[in-house]
Amino acid sequence: MLAGLAMLLLALLGAPLFAIIGAGALLGFARSGVDLTAVPIEIYGIAETPILLAIPLFTFAGYVLSESRAAARLVRLSAALIGWLPGGLAMVAVATCSLFTAFTGGSGVTIIAIGALLFPALVQAGYSERFTLGLVTSSGSLGLLFAPSLPLIIYGIIAEVSIDSLFLAGIVPGVLMMLALAAFCLLRNRDNRRPLAEFSWREVRAAIRESIWELPLPVVVLGGIYSGYFAVSEAAAVTVVYVLIVESLIYREVPWRRLPGIVRDSMVLVGGILLILGISLASTNYMIDAQVPQQLIELVTSRISDQVSFLLLLVGFLLLIGCILHIFSALVLIVPLMLPVAERYGVDPVHLGIIFVATMELGYLLPPIGLNLYISSYRFNRPVMEVCIATLPFILILLVAVLLITFVPALSLALVPK
Amino acid sequence: MSESSPEGEDPGRAERLGRWLENTLLAAVLFAMIGLAATQVVMRSAFGGGVAWADEALRLLVLWAAMLGAIAASRDNVHLRIDLLSRFLPGAWRRLAAVLVDLFAAGVSAVLAWYSWRFVAESREFGDQVLGDWPAWAFQAILPAAFALIAYRYLAGLHKHFRRHLPATGTDPA
Repeated sequence: MLAGLAMLLLALLGAPLFAIIGAGALLGFARSGVDLTAVPIEIYGIAETPILLAIPLFTFAGYVLSESRAAARLVRLSAALIGWLPGGLAMVAVATCSLFTAFTGGSGVTIIAIGALLFPALVQAGYSERFTLGLVTSSGSLGLLFAPSLPLIIYGIIAEVSIDSLFLAGIVPGVLMMLALAAFCLLRNRDNRRPLAEFSWREVRAAIRESIWELPLPVVVLGGIYSGYFAVSEAAAVTVVYVLIVESLIYREVPWRRLPGIVRDSMVLVGGILLILGISLASTNYMIDAQVPQQLIELVTSRISDQVSFLLLLVGFLLLIGCILHIFSALVLIVPLMLPVAERYGVDPVHLGIIFVATMELGYLLPPIGLNLYISSYRFNRPVMEVCIATLPFILILLVAVLLITFVPALSLALVPK
Repeated sequence: MSESSPEGEDPGRAERLGRWLENTLLAAVLFAMIGLAATQVVMRSAFGGGVAWADEALRLLVLWAAMLGAIAASRDNVHLRIDLLSRFLPGAWRRLAAVLVDLFAAGVSAVLAWYSWRFVAESREFGDQVLGDWPAWAFQAILPAAFALIAYRYLAGLHKHFRRHLPATGTDPA
């Protein structure tokens, strides 16, 4: 108990999470008399989980993409296609951010790559600065429900459910969150429906010609994954090779000499994620030995009888967790404990994954640690407080979408083959 | 400003060499992974089957990329953390907290390094093999090495928390 409190304090003071989880696992195993080599043996499990291959590959591909001008081309193309609609530019923001986030895995690069392009354009098009700030910040984590999102892959690994099913289940909820934001944009800007530009075939053709090499990428990757032709890690390998060829050899926007730096930046993130994943394999194992999930089930079921209250509590709890933990840490720490409890209430594990990731998407926007708040504040040079206030209405809209996703399981499960 | 370095100290050859070594190893491991994974996809699509040992090699490369990335993350001090309280602490307390936290991280890493070492030693004793007849311990050795380096990194970083405390006369060009 005392050790637990000390570790909580250390965590709150900023100790790295791998050390906290590691200390927990070491103490737990030591107390139950298990040889402590059990911990490195569990960490070595990283080398026994084939699907993990997708994580370094997709992360690196995402970093290379965000170093190139792919974001600018994507914005130009979608502006040419839907910019002529009333409120079109806001919808361009929502659509491009989602696609870009799905491919870069939610590491916050979307705001830097796309937000920086859209922010001045939106303000120029007559959207208020505050609205623009909120829109760009909240769009920066949309898209985590679409393939090949890293959080869904990691959930699949931890919960031992099919990642293909998770990708299929994420489609409708992901689109729902996009539509919610887009509808809000239209509603808020009723009086500013000045279209961005006349629709012009010439611009569409020019935009397509400019991004002709990148256009096949989402088709090949998403088509390959959703159709089942590629396993997830194969799709990752194809993506990396394709992105390297296109951005380094064809567009020549990412010169070879820049690659070592990009490798480092992306692998630092991968190392951080896989290290806590590996160590949490050990701590989870200990907790299962110590019957922590069973105790948790008893605790919860003795107080909450029906599924609806449980789901409400779950979303509230996840929002709280989202305030203090990054999505990857939350996944490895919370999912192993929550999964058996949720199953007791008849929540499908695939649906639970969608609830988890959708709610944690909001976590990117919640103070005090919401990543997007800080990236926006830094990138657009605004106080964090101002970003928080600007983002608040968007958070509420997304929260409504999250509740719909939570209480209508069919949104997630209809597309998943039984 | 005649002083070129704000810290009044050369970043150091060890620092540059270490960073270069990390980057080179990471790039080597990642590009080997990309090459091998891409070959597997081509083989499967064209001939219906890949190389037998490649999947195991890919998993070992993922382990190496993860641990090398973790070493690099310690150097850049970007491991995932919560850090809710320390920003509210006054200066001296914050430094104390930072020292405690780094000592704790170094201690846990050192213990993990020790038991990883024992794990590797046992695996060597038993003659575990990977990739056909290669000794497994050579590939597992990245675990103790990484945790030892991470522990070292947190210990080596300790002095930073004290330096800002020193009077400025040490670096004054007077």
